[in-house]
Amino acid sequence: MVLEIQKPRPIWQIMFSTHHTDVGLLYLITSLAALFMGGALALAIRLELFLPGSQIIADSMTFNRMFTVHGTTLIFLFILPFASAIGNYLIPIMVRYKDMAYPKLNAIAFWMIPPGFALVWLGFADFTWNAYAPYSVISAPGPAADMWIFGLKILGVSSILGAINFIVTILKCKHPDLPLSKIPLLAWAYLTSSLIMIVAMPTFAAALLMLLTDRLGVSGFFNPARGGDPIAYQHLFWFTFHPEVYVLVIPAIGFMYEIIPRFSRKPIFSHGSGVAAFILLSIVSFASWAHHMYATGMSFTEKTVFMVGTLAAVPASAMHVFNFLATMWGGRIRFATPMMWSVGGIALFFSAGAGGVVNTAMPLDFITHDSYWVVGHFHLFVMGTIAFGSFGFLYYIFPYVTGRMYNEKWGNVHFITSFIGAVMVFFTQHVLGLYGMPRRIFDYPPFPEWVAMNQFASIGAMLLGIGAAIFLVNMIYSAAKGKEANMDDPWGIGGKYYYPYQQKNPHH
Amino acid sequence: MRKIFGLSCILTILFVVPTVQYVLAAGDEPGEYLDRRVEIWNLFFRLMTVAFVIGAVVSGTLIWLVLRFRESNPKAKPTKYEEAGEW
Repeated sequence: MVLEIQKPRPIWQIMFSTHHTDVGLLYLITSLAALFMGGALALAIRLELFLPGSQIIADSMTFNRMFTVHGTTLIFLFILPFASAIGNYLIPIMVRYKDMAYPKLNAIAFWMIPPGFALVWLGFADFTWNAYAPYSVISAPGPAADMWIFGLKILGVSSILGAINFIVTILKCKHPDLPLSKIPLLAWAYLTSSLIMIVAMPTFAAALLMLLTDRLGVSGFFNPARGGDPIAYQHLFWFTFHPEVYVLVIPAIGFMYEIIPRFSRKPIFSHGSGVAAFILLSIVSFASWAHHMYATGMSFTEKTVFMVGTLAAVPASAMHVFNFLATMWGGRIRFATPMMWSVGGIALFFSAGAGGVVNTAMPLDFITHDSYWVVGHFHLFVMGTIAFGSFGFLYYIFPYVTGRMYNEKWGNVHFITSFIGAVMVFFTQHVLGLYGMPRRIFDYPPFPEWVAMNQFASIGAMLLGIGAAIFLVNMIYSAAKGKEANMDDPWGIGGKYYYPYQQKNPHH
Repeated sequence: MRKIFGLSCILTILFVVPTVQYVLAAGDEPGEYLDRRVEIWNLFFRLMTVAFVIGAVVSGTLIWLVLRFRESNPKAKPTKYEEAGEW
């Protein structure tokens, strides 16, 4: 592992390195920067919605720009790069190889992120992270929209390159004595999510090109005025981005598969069922994209097919949850910070999944469509499951990266504030949706129920913000002045570590 | 785990497939009148009943696991894997 703080090197040595831990560190720092930038926008949005009328944001256009960049940043610049960071650190070690399969390609994949990041933030587009046609074709102001399209194009290519690297590293570079059936579940998580990425992402890459040529007036794929079909864009978008949900969530589940056995002081209950569930999820992820589009006039048969396709994800997800519970059963659980995040993540994953089951039922979908229910549902997934799993793993890997321990007490405070905050914001948003509040609105009528629930959700968001501030201070202070970690057993829980820091691959 | 997976499959088959088949097939038969909205709401309520029952059981189990198997619980004892050094 990179003990950067204890043995610092010039920054340029890390920036221009192709070693997997150096690239992992770059991914990690970039993703955390994106987390705080995207999170700051979320806080501004919640402050604006604290009361009806304009509060801190001047107009609806600025509001639209803020939640567009918020969503784009947290999905493409926090969650995906964070998963790449952890994968870079651990996958070569887990498959017992000296580095990623293609180290230079790995570094190139990372260095495509800063220009993509810059294009998204400097443009500050306003058409939501979906960029739905026909608005994105006809009316979305340029150059912001065009910068977003180019930014996403670059980020998409980066993701594909990263996915190719993970697949080749796991399948072709693993140690000959290590059968695929024995590689850790985290490595399986990266293998399946990378395969999904390879299959799904090119569709969106094509859609982005079509969108761009439509905007330039060269074509009319999605422009109704030129005989195009805006609904086709939605199909192309969701064919990529419903599977992408699994690309985001599968590594987070993999993180939990590392943490839960470690802190339960037991091996994982069933390695085989974890592998089977990952493979099942990767297949059914492609069977549900149009459940985002029930309201677009699809036939009853089509809707039924996609409803059943969506429900097919439930058994696979349940297999993971039961695997976690069975692992904890009979254990002697140390509730250190990583374990708290993982257990909290399981609870919220389950809640988010239950909401998803409700949402995929056609009758209720028509009630909740484009309402705050949807906002609450997917945030419960991305924040409550994916970010919780990621935070847990960041605390877990912290001693390996820095050689020091984080402050356990403040780690616990971070978890508790974030858990309460997440429940306050995202559960409330479900109810707000049932009360009829539409999503993506800058202002709302002063119905007492809406005002009260928005205020409750905004207070929850402030709690999340306080937790994030505590996290930032804890990370910086502990990395610089934290207690030196016992690298053989940072939490004093015994057992054999799977990837002791002594396995550090030499720099090259 | 295999049993759990089997149970999940059976539940899916029991609740979803017959209703979907009925809804799709009945519409094709002359003289059969079917209010698809009623059928689909029925499916929804059955699914919700199953979801809430499973949800309550799993959530309750998770809370119990956290309380019972935390290392500070007086009943906590080293796992067999700790003692055998296999973990």
